[in-house]
Amino acid sequence: MVTLGHFLLLAGVLMAIGLYGVLTRRNLIAVLMSVEILLNAAALAFVSVAAYRDPHLFAGQIFALFIIVVAAAELSIGFAILLNVYRTHGVVESDAISEMRG
Amino acid sequence: MTLTAFYVLAAFIIIFAILAVTSANMVRAAFSLAITFFLVAGLYLMLGSPALAAIQFMVNASAIPIMTLFIIMMTQSRSTPPPRTWEMVLGLVAAAGALVFFRQAVVHGDGQITPAGTAVLGEGLLRAALLPFEIASVLLLLAMVGAIVLARRRAG
Repeated sequence: MVTLGHFLLLAGVLMAIGLYGVLTRRNLIAVLMSVEILLNAAALAFVSVAAYRDPHLFAGQIFALFIIVVAAAELSIGFAILLNVYRTHGVVESDAISEMRG
Repeated sequence: MTLTAFYVLAAFIIIFAILAVTSANMVRAAFSLAITFFLVAGLYLMLGSPALAAIQFMVNASAIPIMTLFIIMMTQSRSTPPPRTWEMVLGLVAAAGALVFFRQAVVHGDGQITPAGTAVLGEGLLRAALLPFEIASVLLLLAMVGAIVLARRRAG
Protein backbone atom coordinates (compact mmCIF):
# COMPACT_ATOMS: atom_id res chain seq x y z
CA MET A 1 0.00 0.00 0.00
CA VAL A 2 1.49 3.33 -1.04
CA THR A 3 0.97 5.90 1.68
CA LEU A 4 1.14 9.66 1.74
CA GLY A 5 4.52 9.43 3.44
CA HIS A 6 6.05 7.72 0.38
CA PHE A 7 5.01 10.54 -1.93
CA LEU A 8 6.06 13.28 0.49
CA LEU A 9 9.46 11.65 1.03
CA LEU A 10 9.99 11.43 -2.73
CA ALA A 11 9.04 15.11 -3.06
CA GLY A 12 11.58 15.92 -0.33
CA VAL A 13 14.33 13.97 -2.10
CA LEU A 14 13.52 15.76 -5.37
CA MET A 15 13.65 19.08 -3.50
CA ALA A 16 17.10 18.22 -2.09
CA ILE A 17 18.38 17.23 -5.55
CA GLY A 18 17.09 20.49 -7.03
CA LEU A 19 18.67 22.50 -4.21
CA TYR A 20 22.01 20.81 -4.86
CA GLY A 21 21.72 21.67 -8.54
CA VAL A 22 20.88 25.32 -7.86
CA LEU A 23 23.90 25.68 -5.58
CA THR A 24 26.47 23.80 -7.67
CA ARG A 25 25.65 24.45 -11.32
CA ARG A 26 27.77 27.14 -12.95
CA ASN A 27 25.85 27.40 -16.22
CA LEU A 28 22.78 29.59 -15.70
CA ILE A 29 20.61 27.44 -17.98
CA ALA A 30 21.38 24.48 -15.75
CA VAL A 31 20.46 26.57 -12.69
CA LEU A 32 17.06 27.29 -14.25
CA MET A 33 16.62 23.58 -14.94
CA SER A 34 17.32 22.83 -11.28
CA VAL A 35 14.74 25.46 -10.30
CA GLU A 36 12.27 23.53 -12.47
CA ILE A 37 12.99 20.38 -10.45
CA LEU A 38 12.37 22.32 -7.21
CA LEU A 39 9.03 23.64 -8.47
CA ASN A 40 8.00 20.18 -9.64
CA ALA A 41 8.79 18.72 -6.22
CA ALA A 42 6.52 21.32 -4.61
CA ALA A 43 3.74 20.51 -7.07
CA LEU A 44 4.13 16.80 -6.35
CA ALA A 45 3.78 17.45 -2.60
CA PHE A 46 0.64 19.53 -3.19
CA VAL A 47 -0.97 16.89 -5.42
CA SER A 48 -0.19 14.00 -3.10
CA VAL A 49 -1.59 15.76 -0.02
CA ALA A 50 -4.69 16.75 -2.01
CA ALA A 51 -5.23 13.18 -3.24
CA TYR A 52 -4.99 11.69 0.26
CA ARG A 53 -6.45 14.30 2.58
CA ASP A 54 -8.75 16.55 0.58
CA PRO A 55 -11.42 14.49 -1.19
CA HIS A 56 -13.78 17.35 -2.04
CA LEU A 57 -11.99 20.62 -2.67
CA PHE A 58 -9.07 19.64 -4.93
CA ALA A 59 -7.29 22.81 -3.87
CA GLY A 60 -3.97 20.96 -4.09
CA GLN A 61 -4.50 20.03 -7.72
CA ILE A 62 -5.38 23.65 -8.55
CA PHE A 63 -2.26 24.81 -6.72
CA ALA A 64 -0.16 22.39 -8.79
CA LEU A 65 -1.73 23.77 -11.96
CA PHE A 66 -0.78 27.30 -10.97
CA ILE A 67 2.73 26.15 -10.06
CA ILE A 68 3.10 24.80 -13.62
CA VAL A 69 1.83 28.11 -15.05
CA VAL A 70 4.18 30.21 -12.95
CA ALA A 71 7.10 27.89 -13.76
CA ALA A 72 6.49 28.28 -17.50
CA ALA A 73 6.31 32.08 -17.22
CA GLU A 74 9.43 32.23 -15.04
CA LEU A 75 11.37 30.00 -17.40
CA SER A 76 10.51 31.98 -20.53
CA ILE A 77 11.50 35.29 -18.90
CA GLY A 78 14.66 33.69 -17.50
CA PHE A 79 15.69 32.35 -20.90
CA ALA A 80 15.10 35.75 -22.51
CA ILE A 81 17.37 37.34 -19.90
CA LEU A 82 20.00 34.63 -20.48
CA LEU A 83 19.89 35.38 -24.21
CA ASN A 84 20.76 38.99 -23.38
CA VAL A 85 23.55 37.81 -21.08
CA TYR A 86 24.94 35.73 -23.94
CA ARG A 87 24.85 38.75 -26.26
CA THR A 88 26.70 41.03 -23.84
CA HIS A 89 29.15 38.56 -22.27
CA GLY A 90 29.51 35.71 -24.75
CA VAL A 91 28.85 33.02 -22.11
CA VAL A 92 25.96 32.18 -19.79
CA GLU A 93 27.95 31.32 -16.68
CA SER A 94 27.38 32.78 -13.25
CA ASP A 95 31.04 33.89 -12.94
CA ALA A 96 30.69 36.09 -16.03
CA ILE A 97 27.95 38.27 -14.55
CA SER A 98 29.45 38.75 -11.09
CA GLU A 99 30.04 42.44 -11.78
CA MET A 100 26.93 44.55 -12.39
CA ARG A 101 27.92 46.10 -15.66
CA GLY A 102 25.91 46.26 -18.86
CA MET B 1 1.72 -4.26 -7.10
CA THR B 2 1.10 -0.55 -6.70
CA LEU B 3 3.97 -0.35 -4.23
CA THR B 4 6.33 -2.00 -6.72
CA ALA B 5 5.26 0.42 -9.45
CA PHE B 6 5.79 3.34 -7.08
CA TYR B 7 9.28 2.17 -6.12
CA VAL B 8 10.29 1.64 -9.75
CA LEU B 9 8.97 5.10 -10.71
CA ALA B 10 10.63 6.74 -7.70
CA ALA B 11 13.99 5.07 -8.38
CA PHE B 12 14.02 6.22 -12.00
CA ILE B 13 12.84 9.73 -11.03
CA ILE B 14 15.69 10.08 -8.53
CA ILE B 15 18.29 8.66 -10.96
CA PHE B 16 17.26 10.97 -13.81
CA ALA B 17 16.92 14.01 -11.52
CA ILE B 18 20.47 13.43 -10.25
CA LEU B 19 21.65 13.09 -13.86
CA ALA B 20 19.86 16.34 -14.75
CA VAL B 21 21.67 18.30 -12.03
CA THR B 22 25.12 16.69 -12.32
CA SER B 23 25.67 15.86 -16.00
CA ALA B 24 28.37 17.99 -17.61
CA ASN B 25 26.73 17.54 -21.01
CA MET B 26 23.89 20.06 -21.09
CA VAL B 27 21.93 18.28 -23.82
CA ARG B 28 22.00 15.09 -21.78
CA ALA B 29 20.88 17.06 -18.71
CA ALA B 30 17.93 18.53 -20.63
CA PHE B 31 16.81 15.09 -21.81
CA SER B 32 17.17 13.72 -18.28
CA LEU B 33 14.96 16.57 -17.07
CA ALA B 34 12.34 15.64 -19.67
CA ILE B 35 12.38 12.00 -18.57
CA THR B 36 12.11 13.05 -14.90
CA PHE B 37 9.02 15.14 -15.61
CA PHE B 38 7.53 12.38 -17.76
CA LEU B 39 7.88 9.93 -14.85
CA VAL B 40 6.38 12.50 -12.45
CA ALA B 41 3.37 12.56 -14.80
CA GLY B 42 3.14 8.82 -14.14
CA LEU B 43 3.05 9.59 -10.42
CA TYR B 44 0.17 12.02 -11.02
CA LEU B 45 -1.70 9.22 -12.82
CA MET B 46 -1.07 7.02 -9.80
CA LEU B 47 -2.45 9.78 -7.58
CA GLY B 48 -5.69 9.72 -9.55
CA SER B 49 -5.52 13.03 -11.42
CA PRO B 50 -5.24 12.29 -15.15
CA ALA B 51 -5.84 15.95 -16.08
CA LEU B 52 -2.73 17.06 -14.21
CA ALA B 53 -0.77 14.17 -15.71
CA ALA B 54 -1.73 15.32 -19.21
CA ILE B 55 -0.78 18.93 -18.43
CA GLN B 56 2.51 17.80 -16.91
CA PHE B 57 3.23 15.74 -20.01
CA MET B 58 2.41 18.56 -22.42
CA VAL B 59 4.03 21.48 -20.61
CA ASN B 60 6.76 20.20 -18.34
CA ALA B 61 7.82 17.05 -20.18
CA SER B 62 7.59 18.40 -23.72
CA ALA B 63 7.54 22.18 -24.07
CA ILE B 64 10.05 23.15 -21.38
CA PRO B 65 12.84 20.70 -22.39
CA ILE B 66 12.43 21.74 -26.03
CA MET B 67 12.75 25.40 -25.04
CA THR B 68 15.77 24.49 -22.90
CA LEU B 69 17.38 22.67 -25.83
CA PHE B 70 16.81 25.69 -28.09
CA ILE B 71 18.47 28.00 -25.55
CA ILE B 72 21.37 25.55 -25.09
CA MET B 73 21.94 25.60 -28.85
CA MET B 74 21.49 29.37 -29.20
CA THR B 75 23.96 30.18 -26.43
CA GLN B 76 26.41 27.46 -27.53
CA SER B 77 26.73 26.03 -24.05
CA ARG B 78 26.83 22.33 -24.83
CA SER B 79 28.81 21.58 -21.70
CA THR B 80 29.04 23.19 -18.29
CA PRO B 81 32.23 23.39 -16.21
CA PRO B 82 32.30 21.09 -13.16
CA PRO B 83 31.47 22.71 -9.80
CA ARG B 84 34.27 23.89 -7.54
CA THR B 85 34.99 21.87 -4.42
CA TRP B 86 33.52 24.39 -1.99
CA GLU B 87 30.40 24.71 -4.13
CA MET B 88 29.97 20.94 -4.09
CA VAL B 89 30.43 20.82 -0.30
CA LEU B 90 27.93 23.65 0.14
CA GLY B 91 25.43 21.93 -2.14
CA LEU B 92 25.77 18.57 -0.40
CA VAL B 93 25.38 20.17 3.06
CA ALA B 94 22.31 22.12 1.93
CA ALA B 95 20.77 19.02 0.32
CA ALA B 96 21.41 16.95 3.46
CA GLY B 97 19.89 19.69 5.62
CA ALA B 98 16.85 19.85 3.37
CA LEU B 99 16.49 16.06 3.54
CA VAL B 100 16.59 16.12 7.37
CA PHE B 101 14.05 18.94 7.40
CA PHE B 102 11.67 17.18 5.00
CA ARG B 103 12.06 13.88 6.85
CA GLN B 104 10.52 15.59 9.87
CA ALA B 105 7.75 17.10 7.77
CA VAL B 106 6.64 13.74 6.31
CA VAL B 107 3.15 12.85 7.49
CA HIS B 108 2.62 9.24 8.43
CA GLY B 109 -0.50 7.17 8.46
CA ASP B 110 -2.28 5.63 5.55
CA GLY B 111 -5.30 6.85 3.71
CA GLN B 112 -7.20 6.28 0.55
CA ILE B 113 -6.42 8.04 -2.71
CA THR B 114 -9.48 9.92 -3.94
CA PRO B 115 -9.38 10.16 -7.74
CA ALA B 116 -9.91 13.70 -8.96
CA GLY B 117 -11.93 13.63 -12.14
CA THR B 118 -11.24 16.16 -14.84
CA ALA B 119 -14.77 17.54 -14.60
CA VAL B 120 -14.48 18.15 -10.87
CA LEU B 121 -11.09 19.79 -11.30
CA GLY B 122 -12.40 22.09 -14.02
CA GLU B 123 -15.41 23.02 -11.94
CA GLY B 124 -13.20 23.86 -8.98
CA LEU B 125 -10.91 25.86 -11.26
CA LEU B 126 -13.72 27.95 -12.71
CA ARG B 127 -15.77 28.31 -9.55
CA ALA B 128 -13.56 28.43 -6.47
CA ALA B 129 -10.39 29.66 -8.18
CA LEU B 130 -11.81 31.85 -10.92
CA LEU B 131 -9.86 35.01 -10.01
CA PRO B 132 -6.46 33.24 -9.77
CA PHE B 133 -7.29 31.52 -13.08
CA GLU B 134 -7.78 34.86 -14.82
CA ILE B 135 -4.69 36.31 -13.13
CA ALA B 136 -2.71 33.30 -14.39
CA SER B 137 -3.83 33.97 -17.95
CA VAL B 138 -2.76 37.62 -17.63
CA LEU B 139 0.55 36.44 -16.16
CA LEU B 140 1.15 34.18 -19.16
CA LEU B 141 0.37 37.03 -21.54
CA LEU B 142 2.74 39.33 -19.65
CA ALA B 143 5.46 36.68 -19.71
CA MET B 144 5.03 36.25 -23.46
CA VAL B 145 5.24 39.99 -24.17
CA GLY B 146 8.12 40.39 -21.71
CA ALA B 147 10.09 37.55 -23.27
CA ILE B 148 9.60 39.00 -26.76
CA VAL B 149 10.68 42.49 -25.63
CA LEU B 150 13.69 41.16 -23.69
CA ALA B 151 14.93 38.81 -26.41
CA ARG B 152 14.41 41.26 -29.28
CA ARG B 153 17.58 42.21 -31.07
CA ARG B 154 18.14 45.89 -30.52
CA ALA B 155 18.67 48.10 -33.55
CA GLY B 156 22.14 49.54 -33.90
